[in-house]
Amino acid sequence: MEEIVKVFGLNWKLLIVQAVNFGVLLLALWYFLYRPVLKMLDTRREKIEEGVKSAEKSQERLREIEGERDTVLKEATKSAEELLASSKERAQEQASQIVNDANTRADSILVSAEQRAQEAKEQALRESKAEIGKAAVLAAERILKEKQS
Amino acid sequence: MRAPLFLKRRVRHIMEDISIDGQQISEATIYAVETASSYADSGIHIALAAERVGEFLGIPLTNTLITSWIVMAILFTIAFFVGRNLKMIPGRVQTLFEEMLNFILNYMTEVLEDGKLARKLFPFITTLFLFIFASNVLEFTPGIGSIGFIEQSSHGGEAFTPLLRSVNTDLNVTLALAVIAFIVIEVVGVATLGIMKYASKFLNFKSVIGFLVGIIELFSEVARLISFSFRLFGNILAGEVLIVVIMFFVPYLVPVPMMLFEVFVGLIQAAIFALLTLFFIKIAITEPH
Repeated sequence: MEEIVKVFGLNWKLLIVQAVNFGVLLLALWYFLYRPVLKMLDTRREKIEEGVKSAEKSQERLREIEGERDTVLKEATKSAEELLASSKERAQEQASQIVNDANTRADSILVSAEQRAQEAKEQALRESKAEIGKAAVLAAERILKEKQS
Repeated sequence: MRAPLFLKRRVRHIMEDISIDGQQISEATIYAVETASSYADSGIHIALAAERVGEFLGIPLTNTLITSWIVMAILFTIAFFVGRNLKMIPGRVQTLFEEMLNFILNYMTEVLEDGKLARKLFPFITTLFLFIFASNVLEFTPGIGSIGFIEQSSHGGEAFTPLLRSVNTDLNVTLALAVIAFIVIEVVGVATLGIMKYASKFLNFKSVIGFLVGIIELFSEVARLISFSFRLFGNILAGEVLIVVIMFFVPYLVPVPMMLFEVFVGLIQAAIFALLTLFFIKIAITEPH
């Protein structure tokens, strides 16, 4: 044993120094290399995870928004169609009413015009009857005068 | 030239102890060792122990200790600049480190099947890997092993003492790492399972076979200290010796692919050390059955 120790130059002080050396190296490498590198790897992984997650999220949101837009668009089209149909109906109603009104008014105007024409005719007839009477009286007077003379 | 002399003595001892009939064998072996040491005199210098360069506060200052400080300083500098310049959109260097650390963490989570524990042990395993890997990669940096000073040895010859020496060719380093790994494994096992449950893995009185298996487990647990430290030490030292020997015979070009291979071995050994620690932790936190 002693010879082995001597041949290989074993020395407990050197053993301890080398062990301490290794410990110091371990601490230094841990502090200056492993810790920051692993931290960087972790942060990068987190960042990538976050990015992927947010991308997924925005994709989902986009899909949602697209769906919403579709429904809104559909609703809008539907209501516009309804509106159009109802307004068309109403316009038709109104138009027919206007035509009816016009017809009735035209009718009433015609009726009143006929009435007035009738009245005028009758009046004229009456006036002419009176005049004819007068003329007949005058003529009779003249005939009578001629006969007397 | 301590090692060859020692080897000679050792071989003689062994031969005497074994006392094989063939005197020739022992003579041949001694001849071989002497030849090797004559080669050593002419240039190949192999020492199992790290050379002492000085002393500091009662602690022997070896060349591997200095090199390990340099390795630490390099790792520290890289860590500081990489850690300080982290950005949300990473550059190339940042990507490299992020990918590496992320891979290790994911692999640990997969093996331990426990994200929290993996995160807790992550700095330890990663530092083991980075420290051993950096040390092994720097093994063939020009200057390591070649800069030094020549001393008059006690035998009268001149001895060359390199100022820097590859970190893992010192058993002190690998044994220190093995001890730390051992302690971490046991502590994690106890902390996860509780002391009674963890102890029941090794002290099993339910049956005779269970008891024997428990004792074997206990031995293999302690044997890890030796296997851990000597695996790394032996591999890296062998690579160094191989290169030295090749360089002695063919100094140019031929050592280059071998060096490349040794760098690969260094990577593999660093991975093995870290992975085995991880697997042993997994074994330690597994419920006994």
